[in-house]
Amino acid sequence: MAYVRKDAATLTADEKRRFVNALLEVKRRGEYDEFVRTHLAYYASDGERGLRTAHMAPSFLPWHRRFLLDLEEALRRIDPSVTLPYWDWTRDRSARSAPWTADLLGGDGRRSDLRVTTGPFAYREGNWTIRTGVTEGEFLTRDLGRRADPIALPTKSDLEQALKEPEYDVAPWDSTVTRGFRNRLEGWGTGRGSASWRNHNRVHRWVGGAMLGAASVNDPAFWLHHAFVDLQWYRWQRRHRGARYLPATAPGPGDEQHGRIVSRREKLPPWDVTPQELEDVGAVYRYA
Amino acid sequence: MATGIQRSPKAPRNGRTRRDVMARGALAAALTPLLTAFRTPRPAADDGASFDRVHRGRRIRGTRDADGHWYVTLDGRPLHLMRRADGTWLSMVDHYCSYPAPLDAARAAVDALAPGEQLRGGGHGVRA
Ligand SMILES: [Cu+2]
Repeated sequence: MAYVRKDAATLTADEKRRFVNALLEVKRRGEYDEFVRTHLAYYASDGERGLRTAHMAPSFLPWHRRFLLDLEEALRRIDPSVTLPYWDWTRDRSARSAPWTADLLGGDGRRSDLRVTTGPFAYREGNWTIRTGVTEGEFLTRDLGRRADPIALPTKSDLEQALKEPEYDVAPWDSTVTRGFRNRLEGWGTGRGSASWRNHNRVHRWVGGAMLGAASVNDPAFWLHHAFVDLQWYRWQRRHRGARYLPATAPGPGDEQHGRIVSRREKLPPWDVTPQELEDVGAVYRYA
Repeated sequence: MATGIQRSPKAPRNGRTRRDVMARGALAAALTPLLTAFRTPRPAADDGASFDRVHRGRRIRGTRDADGHWYVTLDGRPLHLMRRADGTWLSMVDHYCSYPAPLDAARAAVDALAPGEQLRGGGHGVRA
């Protein structure tokens, strides 16, 4: 039977405790850092040659869906009652709201060095030492809302701009497309500055610190954010009945994107699974 | 659907992943040609000239070789940049936004770091 992923703001004290404890155990076993490395390894940019799977590509959504399932399976091996919660950043919009409480993700980083000092992932607790990071610090960092130059989280209407797109993705299937659900949600905009980072990307920016960098998986907020992004794929499918993952077939040899993206029935590295197999996961989990 | 974890990622059919690159080069100097070897050539006109300056107390240097490939450091440590299809640049520190030129991306990286926070040494600033 399918299990349920819940809104982080609705979790009971016991659900939060179990989720946190399972995460700490995955970290203690050394499995967590492997997730950080996998995400790092598969972040290829579209201005460079080679296959893109995790970002700037149609498979942004199925790649992260499979990635979340991997972590969720690791958590559920430790505690079968645990599921990934999601953070609805269109509702919980401040540095003091869910999920930034001491019983879940902990709060903002302190001003002097952005170090997170509250909650279970605070460095002094001794359970969350960062070993695979972009910078030398071994502690988790955040700068919620970017205090020096504040920005806001994406709004419901920003998300609506993505959800109303009738097509899943459009050629050339990269970060430059201005139509299609995938990039509208992933959030690569045109132009300069604040207006050019939207939805998913903007949330990474809003959290700041580790979440802004290539090793963003180091912040457990990554999973709650991406669970909410994953929920949007489900919502989009419900709204556009029959709309499918695109492209359905691989771009041909004459296409600039040939061999650089994953089409509907091709394998999605690093897994032995296709985007098509990940389009409907209703038998595995659902969202409350 | 398949829900088993595959913990030994296969290389993509085509091109190199960053993991391959990480495995190959520990030294940035050795790494740069590898990274740039499969970079899509783009007009370099807007990338600006080599730079060496101090931004908010940090030394940022960027040099461009004859082929238009960039090597950027922050307080002497390599700051790996990636290029977007629209010609803009993003860094390992600030990975979900991009900037018009390498200098802008380097400045943005400094702005995003905490005071005193240093890049990790090695390959492209990531110790994995
Ligand atoms: Cu993300």
